[in-house]
Amino acid sequence: MQDQLAAVYLETIRTRVLNQRGGFVGQAGGGYRPDATAWAVVALQALAQGAGFLQAARASLADQQQADGRVTLSPQHPDTFWPTPLAIFAWHQAPEYRQAQARASHFLLATTGVHWQRGSEVTPFEHDPALKGWPWIANTHSWVEPTALAVMALQITGYGEHERVKEGVRLLLDRQLPGGGWNYGNTKVFGQELLPFPESTGMALNALRGVVSQGQVRKSLDFLQARLQEVRTPLALSWGLMGLASWGEEPAGALGWIGECLEKQKRFGPYDTASLSLLLVASRARQGLESVFRN
Amino acid sequence: MDHQDKTSDRKGWTRREFIYCSLAGAVLGLSVYQAYRRFFPGGLSWPFSRAEPAATFIVRAPRYQMNLASLILRGLKELGITPQEIRGKRILLKPNLVETRIGAEHINTHPLVVRAAVEAFLHLGAARVLVAEGIGHRRDSLLVLEESGLAEVLFEDRIPFVDLNYDTVYTVANTHRATRMATLTFPDILKQVDWIVSLAKMKTHHWAGVTLSMKNLFGVMPGSYYGWPKNVLHAVGIDGSILDINAALKPQLAIVDGILGMEGDGPIMGTPKSAGVLVMGRNLPALDATCARIMGINPHRLGYLAGAAPRLGPIREASIRQLGETIAAVSTPFALIEAIPAHRGIRL
Repeated sequence: MQDQLAAVYLETIRTRVLNQRGGFVGQAGGGYRPDATAWAVVALQALAQGAGFLQAARASLADQQQADGRVTLSPQHPDTFWPTPLAIFAWHQAPEYRQAQARASHFLLATTGVHWQRGSEVTPFEHDPALKGWPWIANTHSWVEPTALAVMALQITGYGEHERVKEGVRLLLDRQLPGGGWNYGNTKVFGQELLPFPESTGMALNALRGVVSQGQVRKSLDFLQARLQEVRTPLALSWGLMGLASWGEEPAGALGWIGECLEKQKRFGPYDTASLSLLLVASRARQGLESVFRN
Repeated sequence: MDHQDKTSDRKGWTRREFIYCSLAGAVLGLSVYQAYRRFFPGGLSWPFSRAEPAATFIVRAPRYQMNLASLILRGLKELGITPQEIRGKRILLKPNLVETRIGAEHINTHPLVVRAAVEAFLHLGAARVLVAEGIGHRRDSLLVLEESGLAEVLFEDRIPFVDLNYDTVYTVANTHRATRMATLTFPDILKQVDWIVSLAKMKTHHWAGVTLSMKNLFGVMPGSYYGWPKNVLHAVGIDGSILDINAALKPQLAIVDGILGMEGDGPIMGTPKSAGVLVMGRNLPALDATCARIMGINPHRLGYLAGAAPRLGPIREASIRQLGETIAAVSTPFALIEAIPAHRGIRL
């Protein structure tokens, strides 16, 4: 199954490469995307394949990096720095990009979302807005997925004990829904508990692996175990599986679910490069995303 | 050529000739208008002329399992939208997709309304109809498509879907400046279509009071550039963002799914509320004002609608021509929650 998946992936990813520029398109026939490029690099590295593409793809991310270390969707949109942790992943197993990776890490350590102390007034939301994490876009509040990605990127580059990472972990725990799981980052609004998402839950669980007790995330693991039984779309399935794997849990038939998800392209059309790459990574990340960087 | 030669050129008009002809034209025009009002007091209807832009059409639709396409076609006709106007056009339908709960039909624009709109535009000769959305809360758009039931409809009818959160983009100056945003970044697909149709859901909203056709266009703003859930727009102000986006895009039409809407703590956690209507219009502020009145909400008390009028469209009841059912005939007050600041003082 894994070999079959790898063969299908390699066949598709070759059609998404930008030979002149280096890197990968987001969608078939679309333009360059740093996020797609980073996930394709992680997937190819996990397969130990595509050496010819990897160098150019990593170089394209370095071209995209700005002086302060951020990696953005385009130079015209410097506020869109959320691909920065993804570039750190992509450069992680390439010693020639240590400097670029260090600059990206320093950018993350120096950057936060918009935060404020909760006053005495009643607020419509229940999370602690003072806890600092990372936003999707500059000058906005910090949310679950960019915080989880930044925490993971800083953990693999040796900053796991940094105060910013510890605070990011506290933010993630604070945003965990009382009933288990995470969504984009609100827990209760106007007194009502919101719904969890498998993709956000999977990312948060990867970031919290090894730094909090299983008891603190048990409800979230249970949520994923139940929810993934019915999820066969790439982003939610891949992050959901990696979330469980990062805590040593692998649902029976998980690889088969990935196959079923790929089959759904007959309905949805070809998946985008990042989603396809994440599915491949999920099939290899037996102990969560971090484990693919250990090879 | 000197100045005298230019003014005597018979290809052009002198200022005096222009004034004489303008006066004559005004007299003739007034006579024609008086005759028109005498013989066609209600105005000409399709296929002869286009109705005034601020007309709003209301039709009863008690359930989803009925011929909704025929209702939409009737509405298009009443609004003066002709086959000639649609023929060969590329139409983008923008439904409201947010989150899903299995079996919950009151959160997202219903798939059968999307299907009906596709059928109606194809019936009138549209060259291409596609569905596009940049889902606000979820990054896994395919899961929302699947669990909302829309994927089934798109697949069966072979309707293309574009995920606006990840499309390539173009950036324009924000000329309306209801917010401090200097520019607006839109998905490229918006430039490649002739018509943008907001296919909204009739819901209360805990930040904006209501979410209807204008707020629905938050969903065209790509998450890749605005975050999830559209963080930049929340940071600079929801009401102003609604106005800036609508002023820049100038959507051609909107259809609001009020067959089953949401009251209370919308746009996700509220409760189902059946208004049993589809509401349509070319002018989105006028359409939203009509929907608000149906919901028992005063449109003048909604920040974005108060800001929309009159520059983007009228919201006074007297300035909106109601077609089909009257507001009174379908009025269905939606529950509001006093603890939600955006709901306070907006009851009609």
